[in-house]
Amino acid sequence: MGFLDKERIVAKPGFNRWLVPPAALAIHLSIGMAYGFSVFWLPLSRAIGITAPVQCPADMSFLERTFATTCDWKLSILGWMYTLFFVFLGSSAAIFGGWLERVGPRRAGIVAAFCWGGGFFISALGIKLHQIWLLWLGSGVIGGCGLGLGYISPVSTLIKWFPDRRGMATGMAIMGFGGGALIGSPLADMLMKRFATPTSVGVLETFLVLGTVYFIAMLLGAFGYRIPRPDWRPAGWVPTVTANAMVTTRHVHVKQAWRTPQFWLLWAVLTLNVSAGIGVIGMASPMIQEVFGGKLIGVTGALADLTADQKAQVATIGAAFAALLSFFNIVGRFFWASLSDFIGRKRTYMIFFVLGTVLYASAPNAGRTGSVALFAGIFCIILTMYGGGFATIPAYLADMFGTQFVGAIHGRLLTAWSTAGILGPVLVNYIREYQISRGVPNAQAYNTTMYILAGLLVAGFVCNLLVRPVSDRYFMSESELAAVRGAK
Amino acid sequence: MADEQEPPPSAFSWVQVAAGWILVGVPLLWGIFITFQKAALLFR
Repeated sequence: MGFLDKERIVAKPGFNRWLVPPAALAIHLSIGMAYGFSVFWLPLSRAIGITAPVQCPADMSFLERTFATTCDWKLSILGWMYTLFFVFLGSSAAIFGGWLERVGPRRAGIVAAFCWGGGFFISALGIKLHQIWLLWLGSGVIGGCGLGLGYISPVSTLIKWFPDRRGMATGMAIMGFGGGALIGSPLADMLMKRFATPTSVGVLETFLVLGTVYFIAMLLGAFGYRIPRPDWRPAGWVPTVTANAMVTTRHVHVKQAWRTPQFWLLWAVLTLNVSAGIGVIGMASPMIQEVFGGKLIGVTGALADLTADQKAQVATIGAAFAALLSFFNIVGRFFWASLSDFIGRKRTYMIFFVLGTVLYASAPNAGRTGSVALFAGIFCIILTMYGGGFATIPAYLADMFGTQFVGAIHGRLLTAWSTAGILGPVLVNYIREYQISRGVPNAQAYNTTMYILAGLLVAGFVCNLLVRPVSDRYFMSESELAAVRGAK
Repeated sequence: MADEQEPPPSAFSWVQVAAGWILVGVPLLWGIFITFQKAALLFR
């Protein structure tokens, strides 16, 4: 399949580099639907009962529930798919990053399209046969591998096309990963309503449509990828040969990169920044409901004191808050990554950690003042920095390790995401439950959590502060670089 | 230098760029619009 080869997608002279970001966005907007999968949980939890879940017998074992076709899936069982997404995203990006660098972004993008789109089809079969393991395998494992490959596929290409604006270029693509759920969730909701019948909740048909749409969109994106010649640079742009040792012009091999302290410091930086942010995303809706209670709808009283109708209204406001945060998550990806081109990556992360610590520590006070706008504003800014952390890290890696293996190095660094995906929510949920078990009112149960998240950011600040230029001994020699480029 | 011989992108390529951005931009703007509609409840 020569048309997929890396050599076949080297751009001809006069190629417009601005064609590459929309191709990357097509892929990231598709895989970004992973964030929006929760829209399927409730309908899937009554896939058999249709109007209400059919409960499994209480004495049924976990294994029996996995294969049961006569009772509905619990939300906790469905939620495993979400965990699988991020575990397989990180691990596949780490494992296949080197392969991506060898075969190029088009082949990787197409494999990602088959994995992500195909995962929907396998899951649709799982719904048809009512076998949860097929959903875990289809969307969770195979789809998760598609997420990892799709996520890293444009990174190295964009950095090479935009050496003058590395942050902005990767920010544009990674913005799509945050934006995918903004499109996918309402679209899925519309499709499920359209396909719902008295005998179906409409998820199976929705999966088939979404799988097809995402498969086509990702193929179009993958075929839009072009890579520049090794010596290409933007017209009129001259690399600045300054004393900025934090931006190298040489290259570290992926096999060497993970042996450097810089790699692990940046791994810790990403883990700590993301853990704090993921914790907030997971608890955003219940948090604002419990902190402000009836005040959200103009009545007095804590959440527990409200009527069922009032609680439903408050829950709607909670969902609105979560939606607002997702928007700021996207904005931050483009804004902070672009800003980092001007102020530097290290300073950008310093801002994340200093401003983030102040904001997390201020959140309990904002809750006590009763100002919903102030409280929401604090978390909107926090979410911009969560997104900004993801979008700025590829450029930070390119600055530290060079561009030759940045895709593969970025892939390995994404294991930090998998770690944070477990650490953040576990930390937040367990601290909250511990607080409540000790008699702390629900409205104040988040205060300690906020201080602990602020503590994570202080640790992140220290790690970022320790990042220094990579030692000379890790860089490839000219002959090694020529051998690597010649072998591709 | 490579960039000295590099011809500038053609006018047609900018049409392709516009088409590419419309294809990804319109769904994204639709998603943002829906999100704002939901989020507006927070400020009522």
